[in-house]
Amino acid sequence: MIPSYYEFSNRAKVLSGEAAIDHIPFELKVMECARPIIVTNKQLIELGLLKVVLRALAEGGVQVGAIYDDVPVDSSVAVVNDLAAVYRDQGCDAILAVGGGSVLDTAKGANIVLTTGSEDLNEQMGNEIIVARAMVPFIAVPTTAGTGSEVTGAAVIKDIERHTKMGFVSYALVPDVAVLDPRMTVGLPPRLTASTGMDALTHAVEAFSCRQANPLSDAYARAAIDLVREYLPLVLEDGRNASARLAMANAALLAGVSFSNSMVGIVHAMGHSCGGQCSVAHGDAMGILLPHGMEFNVDHAGPRYAELLLHLAGPEVYASTPAADRAAAAIETVRAMLQFTHERAGMPTKLSEVGVTLEQLPGIATAAMNDGSMTFNPRYAEESDVLQILKAAL
Amino acid sequence: MASLMQVGPGPAKRAKRLVAGVVFGVLGRGTVACARLDERVRTEVMTWPDGTVITLSISPGSPRTTIRWEGGRLKALGSKTDAESTLLVSFKSVEDAFPALIGMKSVLQPFAEHRATVKGDLALAMSLVRCLHIVEGYLFPDIMNRRILPLPAKREVGHLRAYVALLGTSADLGVPSAASAPSAASAVASSGTSEASGTKGDTA
Repeated sequence: MIPSYYEFSNRAKVLSGEAAIDHIPFELKVMECARPIIVTNKQLIELGLLKVVLRALAEGGVQVGAIYDDVPVDSSVAVVNDLAAVYRDQGCDAILAVGGGSVLDTAKGANIVLTTGSEDLNEQMGNEIIVARAMVPFIAVPTTAGTGSEVTGAAVIKDIERHTKMGFVSYALVPDVAVLDPRMTVGLPPRLTASTGMDALTHAVEAFSCRQANPLSDAYARAAIDLVREYLPLVLEDGRNASARLAMANAALLAGVSFSNSMVGIVHAMGHSCGGQCSVAHGDAMGILLPHGMEFNVDHAGPRYAELLLHLAGPEVYASTPAADRAAAAIETVRAMLQFTHERAGMPTKLSEVGVTLEQLPGIATAAMNDGSMTFNPRYAEESDVLQILKAAL
Repeated sequence: MASLMQVGPGPAKRAKRLVAGVVFGVLGRGTVACARLDERVRTEVMTWPDGTVITLSISPGSPRTTIRWEGGRLKALGSKTDAESTLLVSFKSVEDAFPALIGMKSVLQPFAEHRATVKGDLALAMSLVRCLHIVEGYLFPDIMNRRILPLPAKREVGHLRAYVALLGTSADLGVPSAASAPSAASAVASSGTSEASGTKGDTA
C-alpha cells in the first residue's frame, strides 16, 4: 500500500551495541560541542546508570556543563522551561538526555525553547512549525526499550492545568545521535520491561496500519515486531541477557522511526488521554488498549493486520492460518502477548487495574477526540466509539 | 552555467489561488453560519477559549480566511485582518490545499500527509476539523460528501438555508464566552436548545 503522498526522514545517527556510550565524547567532538547538559532523573542516578555515562565522558575529556535531574515521571511545561533556563545559565552547548520517554521528551521540549529563543514552550505548540537552521546538538540515550523517542520527531509534554498531554511534532526534534547500550536496560525491572515492550509493539502495529503507512515505515515496523516477538519473552525470562536487551532496544528504535513518519492512531489518542486524565503509565495504557483499538479498526485495516500476523506470530502460524482468518489471528496474538506479559511480569490487562473508573471514561473519550493521533487512524471514530472501546477495556 | 530564468507560478497555479481564496471565504462564513444553524458546530465553538482566532491559509502569505470567537460571538473576519492567530493552519503550497478545498479530498488528508502545518493547540485544530466536516456537509452535495467525509453528512437544516446563512458574517451564540472547554460544554448543554432554532442571536 502506497499513500498518494508521504514524507519520511530518519536522520539520527544510531550507535548500537557494546560500549556504545563510550563513543559519546567522539560524537560531541564531531558536533563541535564541549559542554553538554545532562538531562536525567534522580532514580536513574540512584540506579548507577548515570555513572556509566559520566565515566565515559570523563575518560573522553568532556566537561559536563550541568546535570539536570529534576525530570518527573510526567514532564510538564514548567520543567521544560526550567531546564532551558539552566542550560542557558550554565553556558552549555549540547543536550545529552539519559532516561526514558519523559526525560527524552523534556529534552526535546527544552530544545524547542532554546532553538527558537522562546521563554515559554506553550508558544511553540503545533505541528511542523519549528523554523531553525539548526537545533541545539542533541544526543539521546534511552534507558527503557519502548518509547523510541531517541529517533522520533515527536514530544509529549503534560499540561498540568488542563490535564492533557500536548503533542509537539516536527522532524527538527529528531535527536542527532541515538545511543543504544545494553548497560542502560539490563537492570530494568520485569514490570517496566513488559510495559515498555508493549509500547514498542503498539508503535509498530499502529504505524503499520495507520493512514500514512508507507513502504519505508512498513519496513521498520515489520523489523520491530519481529524483534519484539523473539526477544520480549527472553528479556522477561532473564533481564541480564545483554544481547536480548539490545535487541529490544533496537525494536523500540525501529518502531520509533516507523511511527515518527507514519504516525499512530486511536490507541495512542486514548492512551495519551488516560495518561493526561488519570496518570496511567503510557506503556500500560498501550498494552491494555492495543487489542481493543485493533478490533475497532479491523474492518478498515484488516488486510494490514493480516500481513502483520507473519511478524506477530511467525511464519509457521502465518502459513497455517487461512488468509481470511489472519487479521483476527493477529489481534488474538496481541492479546496473547499481553496475557503473557501479565503472567510473567504483572502487566495489567484492564484499565480498571490501573485505577481508571467508569466515571472517568467520558472525560478520557473527550480528550482522546482532541488528540492529534486521531487524524491518522485508519477508521474515523466518534466520541461514542471511543467510549465504547474504553468501556470494553475497563 | 545556464542563465537565470524568471519563471512565475503560471496561470494554473494563479487560478488555483484565486479559487482557494473564494473557498476560504466560504469556509469562514460557512463555519459562522453553521455555528448559528447546527448545534454540533455550536457545541464545538463554545469549547474554544474566549478570544480564539483561527486562520486558514496557504503558504506563503495568502489566500487566507480568519474567524474569531470572542464575547460569545463567532465572527468571520475575512482575508484582510491583522488579528493575531491563536491557531494558524497553513497549507504548504496551493497544490496541497486545492484538492481539499474543492471537495476532492477530505480535510483530514492534508493533515495526515504532512501537507499542512499547525501553529497552536492541536486540540483546537482537531475541534476545527470536526467543524469543517459538518460545514462541508452543508456546502457540498452528497455525491461529493460521500467521498470526502469520514461519515455520511448529517444536516440539521437544508442546504438552501445554509447557503442563505452564508450572507452573514457573525453569529452571536447568546451565552457568555467560555474560558475552558468543560465549562463551555456545560454552558452549551443549558442554552443550546433555543439556539438550534437558528434565530436567537442571529446578527447577520
